Amino acid sequence: PPTHIITVNGKECINFASFNFLGLLENEKVKSTAQASLKKYGVGTCGPRGFYGTFDVHLELEERLAKFMRTEEAIIYSYGFATIASAIPAYSKRGDIVFVDEAACFAIQKGLQASRSNIKLFKHNDMTDLERLLKEQETEDQKNPRKARVTRRFIVVEGLYMNTGDICPLPELIKLKYKYKVRIFLEESLSFGVLGEHGRGVTEHFGINIDDIDLISANMENSLASIGGFCCGRSFIIDHQRLSGQGYCFSASLPPLLAAAAIEALNIMEDNPGIFQTLWAKCEWIHKSLQGISGLKVVGESFSPVLHLQLEESCGSRENDEKLLKRVVDYCMNGGIALTQARYLEKEEKCLPPPSIRLVVTVEQTKQELDRAASLLRKATQSILN
Amino acid sequence: MNVGVAHSEVNPNTRVMNSRGIWLAYVISVGVLHLVLLSIPFFSIPVVWTLTNVIHNLVMYLLLHTVKGTPFETPDQGKDRLLTHWEQIDYGMQCTSSRKFLSISPVVLYLLTSFYTKYDPVYFLINTASLLTVLLPKLPQFHGVRIFGVNKY
Repeated sequence: PPTHIITVNGKECINFASFNFLGLLENEKVKSTAQASLKKYGVGTCGPRGFYGTFDVHLELEERLAKFMRTEEAIIYSYGFATIASAIPAYSKRGDIVFVDEAACFAIQKGLQASRSNIKLFKHNDMTDLERLLKEQETEDQKNPRKARVTRRFIVVEGLYMNTGDICPLPELIKLKYKYKVRIFLEESLSFGVLGEHGRGVTEHFGINIDDIDLISANMENSLASIGGFCCGRSFIIDHQRLSGQGYCFSASLPPLLAAAAIEALNIMEDNPGIFQTLWAKCEWIHKSLQGISGLKVVGESFSPVLHLQLEESCGSRENDEKLLKRVVDYCMNGGIALTQARYLEKEEKCLPPPSIRLVVTVEQTKQELDRAASLLRKATQSILN
Repeated sequence: MNVGVAHSEVNPNTRVMNSRGIWLAYVISVGVLHLVLLSIPFFSIPVVWTLTNVIHNLVMYLLLHTVKGTPFETPDQGKDRLLTHWEQIDYGMQCTSSRKFLSISPVVLYLLTSFYTKYDPVYFLINTASLLTVLLPKLPQFHGVRIFGVNKY
């Protein structure tokens, strides 16, 4: 697994590319629980949840996640990408309206495409733009109140955006939600297990009542070091996905060893809430040390474990930018730091972000390694970009 | 396509009227309605026939031309949410055998009713108006038409 030290092309490097935020991928307790589960259950479940594919570990994981996030119910999907891509079309159908951020990740875009609803994009983290769109929709609704009564309206945002490393302004969103009567779907793949005092995500970070958010969807593939994803919220909302979530009904369920590993990871998260402070401190440290690198600008919040390094001035074409960044990445790899460029399906993305190097901070990286990464990047940009 | 079997039909509403035995069930239920009305002692024969015709057309209008969408979730993200059952039959294909059956049965009932009411002018007016409410929405030109925006959303 892509743990703290990985071998890239035969060279041992420190991993700054995998989303292993809490370092639980090579945790001994998690590994031993997974191995015990493997001996007990075998590997796969050979069926979807509705057809002999439900094990006690699935139900336990759903209960534990619901209790951890302090919601009524949770539902597990067996593939992280499919979680939000199944959750959105389960509620939003043809004729409904979804307001979504421009920087939404690819999974959200595919979910919106599958839902066949009317999509209205608003500028990234721009609440005035969103309010303008909501007001326009309100005037349309007043012209045709009978149609408005049957259209559902949703806002889909991410807690921490993967494409930019920003945080969504959740308190303003809640105000807009109650003012214009829209439902909020929050995608917390990067912020679950990172933000908040106990790792509960962006709602705990802002101190917002979890009942204000209609649906929280998250990936277990980042902090929880498992595979799959979950959605949590009120029972009334989550129960609907048990029959309408296409990724839940028509895919084999999560292998029990991964569900057991996720439960163990949750235990570790609950037992040491101090790791979150450590992670934030490391994020702030690297954010500070990367400021002032000539040629590269740091995009992302100071407490975000995912940072994007974009070129300050583009070379003209995207290809040339990517080649330049590749040279920086290769230089760092020769120095023993494994970085990666953020990859996109260029033709399929709605709003393609500029090419960037994606740097991921984990709890396992020491200060010396962070400093080494920063100095290596400085040297790389000096030699390559100047 | 029976109850409880696995099928790949996107919208089962489209095939209900082609199900095995449904035409017979429809004829029998109209017969039962007529028998029930005949059993009421103080209705004369013309009144009973007129009532059968009117009640049959009223129920047909409500079920086929008023109620929209499906009572179950369909995998096509709500494509037929705004369509009545008549418009959903056979995925909107016109002049299929179920559509012909459902168009002809009110006409047959009307002919029988006008015979049994002895072509009386008052009954004629009532029965013809009732027949028109149920025949006009079945015309192919009226597919998806909502007059005055009634029942549009």
